[in-house]
Amino acid sequence: MDFHLGEMQQLIVDTARRLVEAETGLDQWRGRREFADGIDKKLWDSMAELGWMGLAVPEDAGGLGGSMEDVALLMIELGKGIVTEPIVSTAILAAHVLDRTLAGDSRQAWLERIATGSVRIALAQTDPDAEGLQPLSARATSGGYVLEGHKFMVLDAPSADHLILLAQMDGTPALFLSDAKSAAIHAVDYPLIDGSRASDLSITGLNLPAEALLASGEEALSVVESALDRARVALVAQSVGAMDATVRISADYARERQQFGQAIGKFQAIQHLAADMFVAANQARSALYAALGPIGAEASVQGRATSVAKVVSGLSGQTVSRNGIQIHGGYGVTDEYAVSHYYRRLLVLEKQYGGIDVHAGILAAGEMRS
Amino acid sequence: MNFQFNERDELFRQKVRQRLAEMLPDDIRDRHRRILSSASNLADQRVWFAMLDAEGWSVPAWPIEHGGTDWSPLQRFIFEDEMYAADAPEFNWIGSHMVGPVLYTFGSPAQCERHLPSIRNGSAMWAQGFSETGAGSDLASLRTQARLDGDNYVVNGAKIWTSGAFEADWLFCLVKTDTSGKPQRGVSCLLIDLKTPGITIRRIRHLSNEAHLCEVFFDDVVVPAENLVGEEGKGWSYAKFLLDHERTSSSFIFWIKRELARTRELGQTLLRNGRPAIEDPQWARRLAIAAAEIEAHEWSVLRVLSVEPSEYPITARASALKVKGSELQQTITGLQVDLMGDHSLRDYGEDQHPPSTDPNWPDVIQGRTSRALMARASTIYGGALQIQKNLLAKLALGL
Repeated sequence: MDFHLGEMQQLIVDTARRLVEAETGLDQWRGRREFADGIDKKLWDSMAELGWMGLAVPEDAGGLGGSMEDVALLMIELGKGIVTEPIVSTAILAAHVLDRTLAGDSRQAWLERIATGSVRIALAQTDPDAEGLQPLSARATSGGYVLEGHKFMVLDAPSADHLILLAQMDGTPALFLSDAKSAAIHAVDYPLIDGSRASDLSITGLNLPAEALLASGEEALSVVESALDRARVALVAQSVGAMDATVRISADYARERQQFGQAIGKFQAIQHLAADMFVAANQARSALYAALGPIGAEASVQGRATSVAKVVSGLSGQTVSRNGIQIHGGYGVTDEYAVSHYYRRLLVLEKQYGGIDVHAGILAAGEMRS
Repeated sequence: MNFQFNERDELFRQKVRQRLAEMLPDDIRDRHRRILSSASNLADQRVWFAMLDAEGWSVPAWPIEHGGTDWSPLQRFIFEDEMYAADAPEFNWIGSHMVGPVLYTFGSPAQCERHLPSIRNGSAMWAQGFSETGAGSDLASLRTQARLDGDNYVVNGAKIWTSGAFEADWLFCLVKTDTSGKPQRGVSCLLIDLKTPGITIRRIRHLSNEAHLCEVFFDDVVVPAENLVGEEGKGWSYAKFLLDHERTSSSFIFWIKRELARTRELGQTLLRNGRPAIEDPQWARRLAIAAAEIEAHEWSVLRVLSVEPSEYPITARASALKVKGSELQQTITGLQVDLMGDHSLRDYGEDQHPPSTDPNWPDVIQGRTSRALMARASTIYGGALQIQKNLLAKLALGL
């Protein structure tokens, strides 16, 4: 057990801090809703140039072959800068799915495109839970497959040029890789509260060639689940960074803001709110480490640890972001103060890929079985 | 960075687990499992620590020359984890984790020779005389006085919340040797034999029905001057050293984990509508969230033990352990009470019961409520929760 950063890890952290410092901040966050597809192209290109899209891609496919610890360290720094550019969708989710389901030249080619930042891929794994909307299904045709149905809230889809689609085929799950801009895919795009984007998809008669099938049956589910577990860890790491930043800016504010003739940080009521934030943020970082411990262990162990991290970081994020706004008073609920951006980002990070309730339910089911 | 115990540590854990299972006498383990009080049975503690001493394991954190071990902090963590998991009696913390380290760091060779062996083998049990009626969280305003008179100090005053003083042998006591100047400056540490004439001890009954906390009154108590630890007036810095030395024990992580295991046992043992209570989804969810928080808390302890680099001072992170640990003690025992429902209301009294044969009252219920009642004190002793938060705001956040 070692909590010290290795040389490459220190480099990642230092570089990320510099980039976040230079290219993100209140103005960028406030301007994000004006960016087409929610992406800051300059920031995306900077991240790609630094090789971060290939951090989790194996070395033999042109990536840096970084560990999940390396990824988490990068994500912590990106969380401090509220970087919502779709690095998780492409460089974690898609990279993992394609690494495991493709082989030979096509694996090499796709992973290289991911690693260089020249492709963006979104994972469509959620079916709508709404009356009258058919979940996505696939059926084999003579030359390939045809897909019909709906997917719900596909994160980062508006800026993606490709989609990985999870569909039901002959009663079992199947994963397909598709061009995102097909006429058969009708997308309703919308922004999320943190400025990132998502789409609901209506797919009618999408014809895909035989090689578009990535995996089917148990294999498809296990690939998606393990990719999602990695994405969850990445999100938890981002939330740890966002919490650290929220604690810092709230303490800064409490030292500066004067009321009743003194800094409000001199009042114990404020001190205790801030202390609770510190303890919660510390607890969230510990939960992240709990999820990093069993990376590579069997899926059930990893899954449980990931749920622990999602639950604890979610609850901690609520304490940190709510107390953060409270300390900022009226300014805390304006778009003009950073704390409101962290609040929104932490809410998004908590809910994506299963929020507190979903993961507490998973853990509870585990307790009931034991 | 790497977040796994290495193979050497895993082997160490196996070895410790196996050896403790071989060593721990069945009757002690059984009594300790069904114990009603929050403190371990003192007679069992004496027997058990003599056995551990023979193995060289009774004071793992001490330097080897004083009978300790060369274990790494992580191995000591594993050892304590296994001690609790085995249902062994607990350390006499004041002796092994406070007085010992203070004596081998600041004490005289004669004090070390006299006291360290008896702490190690459990023949001397220690209590801690810090708080007073007028000095709780505000410890610096303590008033118990020690006046030097020839070769002796004459002590007058009173201490309160002195855990186990009625059955302990020695008291590690903070006294005022100088009442002029800044309050902290005149504080000294005295080692006081509790059998000395002039000492009166009154036990205080708790809301849990046991009477382990005490008041200790000093009426012209004569203490040999050689029992002064280190220098006069340095007591405050020795107390600070202790806090620094024991960064993680206030996390109560092993205690909390043991109560978590008992909570699961309760959930599997108690029935709701004929089915194990654990199968109630609402209850399973509460347990799951508590277990997740406890798992994260354990990692917080490991981070402090391993001195993780951080922008925040280690003292602040240790204080966060105390805050979270005290809350989790209340969370997990509170959960047990809720889970037990009506079963939580029975008063088992003070004396140990024989193993239960009554299906209404399985053994695992005994002691749970009294533990939960006394857990209300976890956010009070050792610096109340609010004091810890003041400290955190100052140390970590500069408020």
